[in-house]
Amino acid sequence: MAQAVADSPIPEQSGTNYINAQKGILSWLLTVDHKRIGLMYLASTIIAFALGGFFALMLRLELLTPKRTIMDAATYNQAFTLHGAVMVFLFIIPAVPGAIGNFVLPIMLGAKDVAFPKLNLLSLYLYWTGALFTLSSLVTGGLDTGWTFYVPYSATTGGAVVKVTLGVFILGFSSILTGLNFIVTVHKLRAPGVSWFRLPLLVWALYATSVVQILATPVLGITLVLLMMERVLHIGIFDPALGGDPVLFQHFFWFYSHPAVYIMILPGMGIISEIISVHAKRRIFGYKAIAFSSMAIALIGFLVWGHHMFVAGQSHMAATIFSFLTFLVAIPSGVKVFNWLLTLWRGSIKYTTPMLFALSFMFLFTIGGLTGLFCGMLSVDMHIHDTYFVVAHFHYVMMGGTVIAFVGGLHHWWPKMTGKMYGEKLGALSCALVFIGFNATFFTQFILGSRGMPRRYYNYLDQFQPLHQFSTVGSWVIGLGFIVMAYNLLASLTSGARAPANPWGGKSLEWQTASPPITENFEVTPKVTHGPYDFSPEHQ
Amino acid sequence: MSAASHAHDDHDDHAHGGHGKDHVPHVLPLAVYLGTFATLLFLTAITVGASYVNFGAWNLILAMVIATVKAATVALIFMHLWFDHKFHSIIIGSSVLFLTIFITFTMFDTENRGRAEAIEGEKPADIRNPFKASERQADMMRNMGPISSATADVARPSPPAPASAAATASAAPVPSATVAPSASVSAAPSGSTSATPAPSASVAPSASASAKKP
Amino acid sequence: MSTAETTAESGKETELSPQFHVAHHFDSADTQFDAGRMGIWLFLVTEVLLFGGLFCAFAIFRSWYFDSFVEAHHHLDKVMGGINTVVLISSSLTMALAVRSAQQSKKELTAILLAITLACAFAFLCIKYVEYSHKFHEGLLPGKYFSAEGFHTKHPGVFFAIYFMMTGIHGVHVVIGMCLITWILRRTMRGEFSSRYYAPVEGVGLYWHLVDLIWIYLFPLLYLVG
Repeated sequence: MAQAVADSPIPEQSGTNYINAQKGILSWLLTVDHKRIGLMYLASTIIAFALGGFFALMLRLELLTPKRTIMDAATYNQAFTLHGAVMVFLFIIPAVPGAIGNFVLPIMLGAKDVAFPKLNLLSLYLYWTGALFTLSSLVTGGLDTGWTFYVPYSATTGGAVVKVTLGVFILGFSSILTGLNFIVTVHKLRAPGVSWFRLPLLVWALYATSVVQILATPVLGITLVLLMMERVLHIGIFDPALGGDPVLFQHFFWFYSHPAVYIMILPGMGIISEIISVHAKRRIFGYKAIAFSSMAIALIGFLVWGHHMFVAGQSHMAATIFSFLTFLVAIPSGVKVFNWLLTLWRGSIKYTTPMLFALSFMFLFTIGGLTGLFCGMLSVDMHIHDTYFVVAHFHYVMMGGTVIAFVGGLHHWWPKMTGKMYGEKLGALSCALVFIGFNATFFTQFILGSRGMPRRYYNYLDQFQPLHQFSTVGSWVIGLGFIVMAYNLLASLTSGARAPANPWGGKSLEWQTASPPITENFEVTPKVTHGPYDFSPEHQ
Repeated sequence: MSAASHAHDDHDDHAHGGHGKDHVPHVLPLAVYLGTFATLLFLTAITVGASYVNFGAWNLILAMVIATVKAATVALIFMHLWFDHKFHSIIIGSSVLFLTIFITFTMFDTENRGRAEAIEGEKPADIRNPFKASERQADMMRNMGPISSATADVARPSPPAPASAAATASAAPVPSATVAPSASVSAAPSGSTSATPAPSASVAPSASASAKKP
Repeated sequence: MSTAETTAESGKETELSPQFHVAHHFDSADTQFDAGRMGIWLFLVTEVLLFGGLFCAFAIFRSWYFDSFVEAHHHLDKVMGGINTVVLISSSLTMALAVRSAQQSKKELTAILLAITLACAFAFLCIKYVEYSHKFHEGLLPGKYFSAEGFHTKHPGVFFAIYFMMTGIHGVHVVIGMCLITWILRRTMRGEFSSRYYAPVEGVGLYWHLVDLIWIYLFPLLYLVG
């Protein structure tokens, strides 16, 4: 956001910033500074990602050969359950809002903090508590239901179902509080001149995400409470022998978990909007279309949950309606992709690491989105439901989409967060490795799935082995890519060059303050007179 | 209403704000609260009284209308929604909207289970003219109609077969043998007889052990 | 508690709510006040949707097992439910009046009204306890534990599953509400609230009204029409 205060120079690295303003572990644990909370979220979610990634690599290793390779079938079931649960509940849902959103959203608004700083800290503590409960299942009996906890299996299997559902319930609270905080912050704490249509698109995306978090997460809460009651007290709401209905559980679960898919992808889309505009030095094409498409995705996302249940025994009428509505999601998603493309057109594109990730995102997300239409079509889904095709589809959207956007955003705001520049060459290398490895791993799975390889299977027919092996090798390349990335980022902390306030020439407010910012974010509350993507020469 | 004067929808126009300036509460007259209370008691009496009269299907509608009037009264007066920012009404209204979506869409499923399955297992009588129903299909569709009469029991077993492995086990060969995750199987209509081969390979997650073809 | 009372007696402040100040990230007291209220309303949305799942289950099973629901609901005590409704509506009135007197900086009146609200909440739970023990005694229990005799319809346990889940979660909310009311009652007695600053009283009030709102729907659905 080019500012009226542009003539007064941006303060470069004055002595104190939010990191060195206070010392000691307690100054972190009791902080109410959104930037410190964001960093703690970042560290926590990345640890969760590493853990989930470890499970993923083990799963792929097991699938190198049919039958036993490194673990037995029961362990395999627990491993894919924890891979899913950790990645979904501990990483991908909290990562972008909790880490990147917490850090940049208030700064983008020109605010000193989020509306309820103590609540913000509370949601971090709830996240830790929920994570503790979830991960405690590792040592206390394990969980083999899949991350979806479908009844009747989850109501009867042994293991740590109650503990993990309790953990996820608490994580839901954490997610709700973050969303609540962001909505109020966007409404009440915008600096003078920051009108709704001068908000960076990441803020719009986070706002849409927060709406979904508020509206959908409570239903997950009641679902998990009912599941716990079903297990402990046999109340029979999901038990057909007692008059209940197991499919009802799936309705309850997916009323949350489908919108939750948009909790995962929407902030990623917001990050891509930022990166593409800033690194191509081009005003975003169709600002309002992108902003409103975020809201549209959030709202349509509530109308399509039944497409997870086409073969679960729901009525044909419901299936038909859900299938039809599912296609509607493609419209706002398409609007975004085309607007990003048109933003790039005739832009002065710099192939920085964030830009490389953004370009990967557009490629991978488009594949993921289009294959989503296959899955949303009733007749096709009959064949590919619960096959590797679906696995590949949602990995293209979740990992090729959100994770790639997340690491892209991490590189984009890394100089702002830490005050250090990472190495561009290693950054590009890590991006290339992840991109190649990703396609090797998951494009193969489209083929596997379309040939009938069911998901979550420990064993498989011999004819699938070459493709499985290719996929496993791909997973090693992804792992290598992330190791290079971790080394690059961590090494920058000690040996990286000092970051200027505005390394990319961005126009939104977070680039108009020091890197890293001071605790109050700005020396003086900024007054904003232009939009966030105004790269026209008079504002250079 | 004084709502307009009190509400200011955007924080940009805080002409009266600024540090050191205190918040000035909007105090309602006591009579408004007492009147609201009397209204609520009155409506409670009506709804209890009405429960002793049988209006048939209108029982539920009447009770819900009265409850909604009561709820609206509490929200508008006790919770100050009438005098508050309009956005707060939108917030709480959205919860009602999305709850309606949740219940309606779920009931699209639960109210219609088993209606189409009655004929889906039939092969088209003439492969060149697949939409021309066989005599048996035409017969069944004539009898189906809206859910009513005894035929509804054929199409929709009562209680309407919550999709369960147990329900299918007792039924005739499963027309569509596609196995769903975690052991829930398409609610098989007990009325259908001739089964086509399963349209696609049965697919089940490894976790589901209980769902097997009978 | 005694310290709070002594503070309350000696607290003849010349300035209202002396400890209150506008947090540094808000531009005015009004903004801070509105932000808090918006936060509470958003929280209430989550509460509505939490109960919403149970309302959804109620709608579906009532439609499936209509006769069973009608038969089962006759085993609930309309009179007790009706008394509880009146008790909760009364507590809602005293809560609303407590917010009003806090707005007028009437400390003693606020404390008395909050105490009456608390008493109503307690009465509600006592009546609920009597109802519950009655149900337990007769074996009118959810699902697997349903053991009452003389039912002519299938699956009456489903009705009681929903009854116990709905009223149980509502009861938990009443208990949480009582804790919150106790908390603001203490702060009221310490003289922290006035026309300058009463946001916590109003916030707890909004929560308490929502608990009442939920009951306004539960009562006719469960007790009256079944």
